[in-house]
Amino acid sequence: MDQFLQALINGVALGGMYAILVLGFSVIWGVMGVINFAHGEFVMLGAYMAWLANNQLGVDPFLSAPFIFVLMMGIGYLLQLLLVNRVIDRPHLVSLLVMFGVSIIMANGLKLIFSADFRRADSSLRGAYDLTDNITLPVTKTAVFFIALAVLGGLSLFLQSTRLGKSIRAAAQNREAAQIVGININKVYAITFALCIGITGLAGALISPILSIAPFQGPPLTLRAFAVTAMAGLGSVKGALGGAIVLGLIEATVAVYVSGIGTNLAIIASFVILVVALVVRPQGLFGGLRPVDATAS
Amino acid sequence: MNLISFLNSPAAKKLGWALCGLAVAGMAILPMTHFGSNAELFTLTLMLTSIGVAINWNITGGFTGYVDFGHAVWFGLGAYVTSMLMAISIKLDPVTLEETVEADGLGTAWGPVPAIIVGALFTGLCAAGIGRATMRLKGPYFSIAMLGTLVAVREIVRVAEPITGGGVGLNLPPYINRPLFYYIHLVLVVVLGVFTWWLRKSQFGTNLIAIREDEIGAEMRGINTIATKVAAFSFSGFSTAVFGGLWAYQNTSVDPDIAFIETRTIDAVLGTLFGGIGTVLGPILGSAGLFWLKEVLWARFTESHLIFQGVLLILLVMYMPKGIAGLFDTRGTSLATIWSKWMPSKDESPDASPTPKSGSGKPVVDTVATSNEGAV
Repeated sequence: MDQFLQALINGVALGGMYAILVLGFSVIWGVMGVINFAHGEFVMLGAYMAWLANNQLGVDPFLSAPFIFVLMMGIGYLLQLLLVNRVIDRPHLVSLLVMFGVSIIMANGLKLIFSADFRRADSSLRGAYDLTDNITLPVTKTAVFFIALAVLGGLSLFLQSTRLGKSIRAAAQNREAAQIVGININKVYAITFALCIGITGLAGALISPILSIAPFQGPPLTLRAFAVTAMAGLGSVKGALGGAIVLGLIEATVAVYVSGIGTNLAIIASFVILVVALVVRPQGLFGGLRPVDATAS
Repeated sequence: MNLISFLNSPAAKKLGWALCGLAVAGMAILPMTHFGSNAELFTLTLMLTSIGVAINWNITGGFTGYVDFGHAVWFGLGAYVTSMLMAISIKLDPVTLEETVEADGLGTAWGPVPAIIVGALFTGLCAAGIGRATMRLKGPYFSIAMLGTLVAVREIVRVAEPITGGGVGLNLPPYINRPLFYYIHLVLVVVLGVFTWWLRKSQFGTNLIAIREDEIGAEMRGINTIATKVAAFSFSGFSTAVFGGLWAYQNTSVDPDIAFIETRTIDAVLGTLFGGIGTVLGPILGSAGLFWLKEVLWARFTESHLIFQGVLLILLVMYMPKGIAGLFDTRGTSLATIWSKWMPSKDESPDASPTPKSGSGKPVVDTVATSNEGAV
């Protein structure tokens, strides 16, 4: 029973972390139709920034996170202007391959700057809090969980009630019609991309005390983002949370009950979920910003 | 003007094939000249491997229109099954200093020929099984599901320590004979090249193209689309695994990270795009060109040469989507139709039915045609 409760707590905490990790990927895909293959690398970039601030200046990752958010928004805006905007009208494969190129450049650039060593930032929020004799609460992950809830809630509120948020949703649902009613589509895309890259960098900063950072740790994160998005529906904020918690619970259960090789099995689990979710329910489990059908040609 | 019309003429095509024949003849006599040192033959063998993998990738990615981002999984699986059947471990007795050779992996210690054949057949079966599930998916969903397959299989291999050696991997009986490996690879690549040329002309190949152009239409014409595309995928996996098995034997050791390295997929995709996706000669010329480009860059910029690869990918996709072959054949729309499978459903209303729209292909052809004119 204790073991089960522990798996449940770990799973939900892990799910909160995944929710903020996948949010940017899901919204970029949902609104712009761009599959951000470099998503994991953007997470790593944010995490490296937090590590650098922590290592050089001694700043806690939780404190540097807001600054990293702003910095990454700037990077996202520039990338949108220079690259993504040029391929946005082309089919998915073009933008995906372009982002694939960006991911190769970023991963190798990070390796060049930071070497291939594993890094981890230090945070004052660490360790485990004993709930009972046998059940502990991972402090860092719990903090990330609540920040993730706040970010998700904030984004949801932004999309639902502000004028800009409404134009983003309109652009996701029907681009032409959105343009007809006078929405500046390029501006909407630029803001969406900047915001999502900002959130992704923020997520990277938040996980820097939890996961080991290395230049080539991006692809497993991109894969998880894809699994959650496929499960949840494109651009769905609620779905990102739901899907991420499902993935977190599965990974935590596997890790608790299978000792030793649990973490390897967790990656296998996210792949199995991905394919099963796509094949069984190609339209996603939660309604998103845009309909998805993985089997329609 | 004259150059473009010449490049499009049948004479240019004949000239191209003649040059290919000349290149093969040159490569065949190379080991007998003083250029053919073992180190050079080894490099050329690796080039032939990357050409072989790209030709196989092109069968699914180019002809059938299913862009596979995890193709390296078949290479790694072939390498691993071959290694598991052949593996040995040499133990040194600390007292007597006597070396004992024990069978490792599956404990069979087979010879190379049956091991590579069984490895490739097993991989072909796996490709059929996985392809049956993942080829239900379209466009980006298929691509990412295959990337997931690569990552998952790599982890499965790492976990199955008793038979795969876990993260450390396996050792094979060392056998160094560079010219032999070189000739085997050369023959395999030539056979595979001729086979794809035949495939492109055959009824089966035409069925594959039909699936790429319009899968539902192909089904209505009576083509068993599932059997056809899964068969092509399975062959592609089988044939890639032959190269994987040979690579493992030549390398004398395997471990999960090097056998299932993502770079192998990137090379196949990039080489094929460079040469011209969906053409017979494209992957061969493109991979050979890319391989030498990488060698040059690697020698100059050891640390950063992969960054150039990323830049090259972006430039190719944006400004030269038909690759080298696009310079020769301006009529082709093969890429446009692969692109069109990926067309985002931006203009669909949320409750639109998933049935394909007949007009959706048209604007895609236009965009690609325009971008290609810029390249030529």
